[in-house]
Amino acid sequence: MIGELAGLLRNRGFEWEIYWEKGRSDSFSIERESVERAQRSFFSGVGLRIGINGRTGFSYVTGLNHRREELESLVKRAVKLAKVGEMPFKGFPEVRKPARVKGLYDRRIAEMPFEEAYSLANGLSERMRELKGRNQTLSGGLGLSVVHRGVVNSNGIELSSWETLLAFSSYAVEMNGGSGSGYEWNSYRDLGALKEADAIVKRSVELAGDSYRGEETKPYEGELLLCPEAFGSVLSILLENLRGDVVYHGNSRFSEPGEIVGSDLVTILDDATLPGAPGSYPFDGEGVPGQRTGLVTGGKLKSLLLDHTYASLLGMESTGNGLRTFRDTPVIGTSNIEVLPGKDDIEGFDGVAVCRLFGEHTANPVSGDFSLPVELAYGRGVGGDPMKGGMFVGNVFELLKGIKGIGKRTVRKGSFKAPPVLVEGRLF
Amino acid sequence: MERIGKTAERLAEKYGVAYYELRVVRVRSTSISIQNDHLEELSENEEVGLGVRAFKGAWGFSSANDMKRAGEAIETAMKAAKLLKGSASVYVGDPVRDEVAVRQEVPLETLGIDEKLVLVRDAAKALKGEAIKNRSVSYGDSVKEQLYINSTGSEIRTVVPRVRLYIASTAFSSGDMQRYWKAFGGTGGFELVSNLDLNEWGSLVSLKANELLKASSPPAGSFDVVMDPELTGVFIHEALGHAVEADSVKNGESILAGRIGESLGPEELTVVDDPTIPGKFGSYVYDDEGIRGRKVEVIRKGVLREYLTDRETAAHFGVRANGHGRAQDYAHQPLVRMSNTYVEGGTWETQEIIEGVRRGLYMIGDKGGEVDTATGTFTFGAKEGYLIENGEVKGHLRDVGLSGSILGVLRRIKAIGREVKVSFPGYCGKGQWVPVDDGGPHILTRARVGGLG
Repeated sequence: MIGELAGLLRNRGFEWEIYWEKGRSDSFSIERESVERAQRSFFSGVGLRIGINGRTGFSYVTGLNHRREELESLVKRAVKLAKVGEMPFKGFPEVRKPARVKGLYDRRIAEMPFEEAYSLANGLSERMRELKGRNQTLSGGLGLSVVHRGVVNSNGIELSSWETLLAFSSYAVEMNGGSGSGYEWNSYRDLGALKEADAIVKRSVELAGDSYRGEETKPYEGELLLCPEAFGSVLSILLENLRGDVVYHGNSRFSEPGEIVGSDLVTILDDATLPGAPGSYPFDGEGVPGQRTGLVTGGKLKSLLLDHTYASLLGMESTGNGLRTFRDTPVIGTSNIEVLPGKDDIEGFDGVAVCRLFGEHTANPVSGDFSLPVELAYGRGVGGDPMKGGMFVGNVFELLKGIKGIGKRTVRKGSFKAPPVLVEGRLF
Repeated sequence: MERIGKTAERLAEKYGVAYYELRVVRVRSTSISIQNDHLEELSENEEVGLGVRAFKGAWGFSSANDMKRAGEAIETAMKAAKLLKGSASVYVGDPVRDEVAVRQEVPLETLGIDEKLVLVRDAAKALKGEAIKNRSVSYGDSVKEQLYINSTGSEIRTVVPRVRLYIASTAFSSGDMQRYWKAFGGTGGFELVSNLDLNEWGSLVSLKANELLKASSPPAGSFDVVMDPELTGVFIHEALGHAVEADSVKNGESILAGRIGESLGPEELTVVDDPTIPGKFGSYVYDDEGIRGRKVEVIRKGVLREYLTDRETAAHFGVRANGHGRAQDYAHQPLVRMSNTYVEGGTWETQEIIEGVRRGLYMIGDKGGEVDTATGTFTFGAKEGYLIENGEVKGHLRDVGLSGSILGVLRRIKAIGREVKVSFPGYCGKGQWVPVDDGGPHILTRARVGGLG
């Protein structure tokens, strides 16, 4: 059908781009250590963008089996929207070789019968039963998916790729008078990662135990360790400011590369080429190769996150960050965010350590001010004297400027990878 | 459709599935967004899909957006239910045959996208103001036609139109930036947004963004806090609403498990979740499990009365399902969700509440929140705030965050205002997004405030 649609679009006197997907996702929901819900869903569809006289239009259709009349109707809708809307059109990307990224596809996930997927989920629920602590109940989930996606455009781009994903999570709740909770998860590209499941369940059990025993957070101001997960929560407030569309529309703290973002110890990358990483891809949603982009190097803004349109508007090159589904036009997003490790031996820091925060979406990305509830912190290094409740308050830009040390070991959680950092901070 | 129904019957027999349900959905939607006169999104689409659930002690689910795969989806759901060998039960109820269309004064389908675009451009123009660096407007509407059938013989056809308009301004001065916004909408037609005084709202939003540049950071610590109706809405949604969703109660993940009949707050406190309020963003006639939505008094006179339930949790607790099983779309399974959640009016005038505070904060507007239902810790942000000293509203505050424990903050409610507003349309996330509304009157409680001041 994609070939037929491309045939319909050729020689029409306008530029066009087809983005298509076909896939399947399985998910299993575990409640009280039993698989209670199982799901296998199928999805497919085509998004069509066209450019006419400097204007663009977009429409989509679900499914990949359509009669010629239905395809004509899709084209007509996109053309109509281009004429009505006056959305500026900045052309489509030219042909470039996609990135070679290893480990994005595992045939065992792609071809896994539903029964086998269920038995994996069941195995996970059994391990939860075996590993749970006293007065704990565990829930969680297992997800497996495969997608075949592609881009074809009037400049000659014709790309497709197969990608798989495996994700699991474990949420432990401990209740016996008081209460505590611990959540742990991760995502992968290949089935070999199943060996990580035990560690994830154990970690959630530990976290719930620490949370249960945790005292109310005591007010504190001074040097503290931010564990990678908590650092990720704070950093997400900054990342919003690095999107090209946010900068173009004047909604960002920053306006151009070279501005100071943080301490010169800080280097942050967006890397779509990390082998086997959940956020990696050979090409983005408009056919631009995935790449490794230095966003902040030595504390300075090095590059924005860009798709083709906003790169053109800002007079820059796309960084291959136009992410999408067939239902949407590309939206600028991150692939894998990596904070490079430092040289500081801070993993053994024995002061206050803040390890889990939540509610970062309530912070103000523009001013950078945040006040986030502490899900879990420790009074004497990670693992010692757990604390919960209270708030971690500060300003993300000030915090990054004041970083005093960056740990040597990074932790990857989904598409975010970072070491712990030592900062000046305030809890109350 | 008849063919699909017959296929379901045949496969249910083959896999020994006693209860199943199908949702066939057609959604027509329009999305428009604009920033600083730059049109960013303009789309008009129609989508058809099928979601199938089968129950045999546990749920099997499948969906497809290519109707040629309908048979495969039905069989997958049935197979999955059989495979799970669960031991739970489900509230079945009586079969329902009904056809309901939510009324639209100005039907969304009768307007061209160009007419909707005019409204969006007008809204963007209205966001004028000194120091405004970014003006942003997004508009979305959808008309969802759903046919729900289940194995008891229920057949329910619903048409639910929804509209939402969001306007925002970002003000900039001397390296500092502040943002303010407002959302409008509900279930109904274009009249929900076309009757707005865009100039008035646009000026207000830009003015507020500007004023916030001069506002101070709040002090940090525990304070008496007066919440405005919008903030009361997000507070009651986050702090209480999620913890009374019966799935988290059933799974041992809610601090409110086993507390039905217990006093959680003052006698003046009544909290309601009501999908039947006409025109609100979280309203519906039937939920996505074919159960008629019902007004639920979650707390009455301070006492916890009822959880929000779907078919499965209703059976677990031995009660009738109260119509809170909602799904984001055909590709998602229904979960227990809120609809329009609010605190009922009390006896206090707003001024009286403020005058009673010696040192505290008056906090206004919703910036979103989050809760851990197991520990009972919640947080949410306010768009702006004011210091209250000796009963007088004083300095303007920005970037105000609140945190507390569900049980503590409910117990510390000291005053509940008379005038109730439920008109704050938004989306609630729980692995999937559903439209909700919330609100209430002004209330006075005590909570932890986070700030740099």
